Amino acid sequence: MPPLEHVLVISAILFSIGVYGVLTRRNAVNILMSVELMLNAVSINMVAFAIYGRVAFDNTFTGIIFAFFIVVVAAAEVALALGIVVRLFRNRATANVDEVNLLKW
Amino acid sequence: MSATEIVFYCIAFFMIASGLGVVLARNIVHSALALILALGAVAGVYVILTVEFLALTQLVVYGAAVIMLVLFALMLTRARERPQALFGKNRPIAFVIAAGLLTAFIAGIVASEWATTNPDDIEPLPFQEIGDVLFSAWAVPFEVISVVLVIAMAGAILLSQPDQGEQ
Repeated sequence: MPPLEHVLVISAILFSIGVYGVLTRRNAVNILMSVELMLNAVSINMVAFAIYGRVAFDNTFTGIIFAFFIVVVAAAEVALALGIVVRLFRNRATANVDEVNLLKW
Repeated sequence: MSATEIVFYCIAFFMIASGLGVVLARNIVHSALALILALGAVAGVYVILTVEFLALTQLVVYGAAVIMLVLFALMLTRARERPQALFGKNRPIAFVIAAGLLTAFIAGIVASEWATTNPDDIEPLPFQEIGDVLFSAWAVPFEVISVVLVIAMAGAILLSQPDQGEQ
């Protein structure tokens, strides 16, 4: 098995890629995809800590349960967010977040 | 270096490459396809970390359901038909923020002392233990999360319904 630090570093790289995508992309669906990358990076972290620290933490592995819950919540979030994006496209004929300024003062 | 580690570094390289593909692809459908590869690679990392249960969940929920939803949303919003700028104006700032975050993370990871077991002594986690914990200690959160899922699905259906009089 690879050392813990290497797992953490690759998940940090994946998270940063996700941050870059969220900040630069204009299409709302593409921003959602980048959010998925960030969620997965965090899940990798949780699983890595659960596995590598299982003995140190009295044979519990809460991180895996959390990663499981993250998957479920992400599925719910994607369903709702894509519903909103489709709705937005129907009302404003665009899926680009910088063209949606309904709430801008 | 053991065979597991070689496979791990290959998967990690693959994951980061397809992650970059998601963020940088010019065609938005290619982004979605790169996302499948990235999420599959994450499932591979779970297998290396001996959590096959999560890897299967990942493949079923992300690799199939979430990607399906994303592709449907791309189809319904006709993202490909209208050529337009893909990136906003703040690309340099975003790059600085992402690079700064990455540097901070790596510095923190290197500087910390992790009280972990020796990687070679780690034993695989059997399916059954996860199931036992999930349905005893975590039974209530498990039920709550299923209610959340049902409400989210109902909300998504409600949101995407046409208004009265709309065609």
